[in-house]
Parts: sequence; C-alpha cells; structure tokens
Amino acid sequence: MKHLPKHLRPRRRYLAVGVESWPDGDFGTRDFQRECWYAAQNLLGDPGSADADLSVIDFDVDDGSGLAVVRVRHGEVERARAAIACVDTVGDAPVGIRVLGVSGTIRACEERYKGRAARESAERNVAFADARRPATVRGDRVEIDSESGFVGATTLDTSD
Amino acid sequence: MDVYEAVRAYPDGESTAARFALTAAEYDFSGIVVRNSPAAFDDGPERGEIADEYDIDVVDAVEIGGESRSAASARVKEHREEHTLVVVEGSDALNRFACEEPRVDVLARPMADGDVNHVLARAAKRNGVRFEFDFGRVLRTSGGRRVQALGDLRKLREIVAYYDAPYVVSASPESHLELRAPRELLALGDVIGFDREAVARGLAEWGRLAARNRERLSESFIGPGVRRGRYEEDD
Repeated sequence: MKHLPKHLRPRRRYLAVGVESWPDGDFGTRDFQRECWYAAQNLLGDPGSADADLSVIDFDVDDGSGLAVVRVRHGEVERARAAIACVDTVGDAPVGIRVLGVSGTIRACEERYKGRAARESAERNVAFADARRPATVRGDRVEIDSESGFVGATTLDTSD
Repeated sequence: MDVYEAVRAYPDGESTAARFALTAAEYDFSGIVVRNSPAAFDDGPERGEIADEYDIDVVDAVEIGGESRSAASARVKEHREEHTLVVVEGSDALNRFACEEPRVDVLARPMADGDVNHVLARAAKRNGVRFEFDFGRVLRTSGGRRVQALGDLRKLREIVAYYDAPYVVSASPESHLELRAPRELLALGDVIGFDREAVARGLAEWGRLAARNRERLSESFIGPGVRRGRYEEDD
C-alpha cells in the first residue's frame, strides 16, 4: 500500500522505558507488548488505548535489566506514561518500569538512552543477614537469592 | 518540589532500605520514608550512611497496626519521641483512633480495610492527621479489586477536598520494582481524576512533615513558636 502523504501521517513520540526485574525474569518483546496493551486497555479503556497506540519498537532486556522503546501517538505521552506505570508484572515476573525520556525519533531515543541500562552482571556469594547466599551483582545493585525469594539489596548491605 | 515516597523495606518488604534509596535517587525522589524503620535498620547499614551514600533523604517512620485502640495508643506514645514520623495503618478498628490522636502524623490506606466519613475528616483536619492516598492498589491490582480501589480513592478525594483535610500520596512500594517515578505518579493521578498539583503536593507532604517533626524533636524546640536560642547577656 502506498504511504500516506506526510501531512496525513500520524505524528509519533518514542518513550525510552527502563525495565528491571529479578535475575530469573524471563520474558521477551511479545510478552512486554501484551502487558503494555493490557495496561493501557485496563487504565484508559478501548478508545483511550487505541488513541495512545502503544507499540514496542525495540526491547533489549537481559538478566533483569534493559531498555525498551515504546512508540506512542503524539499528544498521548502523559496517558501512555500512566499506562506504562501500571505494568507491574510481565508474565509472572514482577518488573520495575520507568520512563527515562521521550524522543521524536527512534534513533534519538536509542542513542540517548541505550548506554544507560547496560551493566555487566556477575554471580557470586555474598554475606547477608548472617548467612552466605548466592547473589547477582550489577554495579552497586545486589540481588540476593534467599529461601523466600529474591531480596533487592546494594553493596552497602552485603559483604564479600 | 521535593517529592518523597513512603516504602516498606526488608524484612517486611523485598528490598532493603539501601536499595530503595538507590532506586529512589535514580527516579528523582528527594527522599524516602521507611515505614518499618525499627525492623529495617535493625541489621545493616545505618540510616545516615545510606543517606550519604546515595545522596537522598531517608526518614525513619514507624507503622502501627493491630486490632486494639488501647494497644495502638500505647505504641504511639512509646514511639512518638523516637521516630520522625508515626504512621497508623488504617483499619475499621483504628481509623477513628488515628484521626483523633494529634500525635499521629499519617493514617495509611484508610479505605483498604475501613472507611472514612465526614466525622473522621473533620477530626483529622483538627488534629493535623494526614490521610494517605494509596496508589499502590491502582498500580498493582486488576479487575474488580482495582475498580474498588479507584472507587475508594474517589470517595476519599471528595471528602478530603470538601473538608480541606491534609493528605499525603504514596504508591506504597514493598520492593524497588514497585517503585514508580514521580512523573509517572503525576500522570497516573491525572488519568484517575486527581489534579497534577494535588498529587505533587501529596508527595511533597511527606518531606514537609519530616522537616517539621525533626524540628519539633530537636533539642532547641520547646513549643510552637517557642525555641531555645542564644540569650542576650545582662549588662
């Protein structure tokens, strides 16, 4: 099909969305896209969801941390932001979500925010609450695998 | 505006106070209020150490729940001098007590398990007890329970607006993953019928309360408007 003339094409904004989860969180673009649609539909209703038109353009999350680029219609950024804030799990994995910024083009969005989320992670044992436990360490962040699930901590809480 | 978030840290929540501080600082919060500070700072880094490391204000608060008014009253008296903020967990049994007790700072999630009416709103205003608007249930539940949460928020909003009662806003996160940035909370507030400014004021109110109480707990404070200062020397 032929492209629409430029003045009729919908104008878009691209949200750089920081995504975080526990180290065992395993989900992909499709899962995240589905949650975005659900969240928008539940919060904004069908018409609002269609207006915001959330679509996940790029999704790069490894080992519980990464960046997604979500396309929304121009003028719906704040409503889209509210909908995205309501994504609390993807599949069964709880996620932390934050809109890092808004750009007018995909390229600007990626160039500006890509480097921020990428951090090397390492597995090691740390001392926490009187016991040694396996943990995933990423910079200052330490995710400790305790008996009752993960505990989010930092290097201040633990010792090697 | 200096926005704060009131969190429940490990061992009651899933992230330590330090992790909350790290994430909240990244999310542009000016401070966090640790609701369960007796347990949260029991074993681990000190409050001041966390605040210095992540350059964010960390406020110690204590949350009082339970079924009995007299036990709650005793605990409020016991903790008032020791902690910056005293928060009462709302319930059928405690809502009325909290609103009528000037020593209480915040009545948390008043609608989750109880109800608020004009009598409580008037009492809360008289005693300076802040109602908490809990966005957590809107962010993290779905279906019927979320509809109820939205209905509760609306009812509380109408009562609070009519009586001009004081309030705070929080997403009451229990892990760093449940934390949401201030702009997201403003956007969400807007969609569910709050004023952006009202939400911002509610988030900032935690910080204002903490500053006020720190002054009151400081040694130079004697009474409202009266403080110990340097005295003029007699000639």
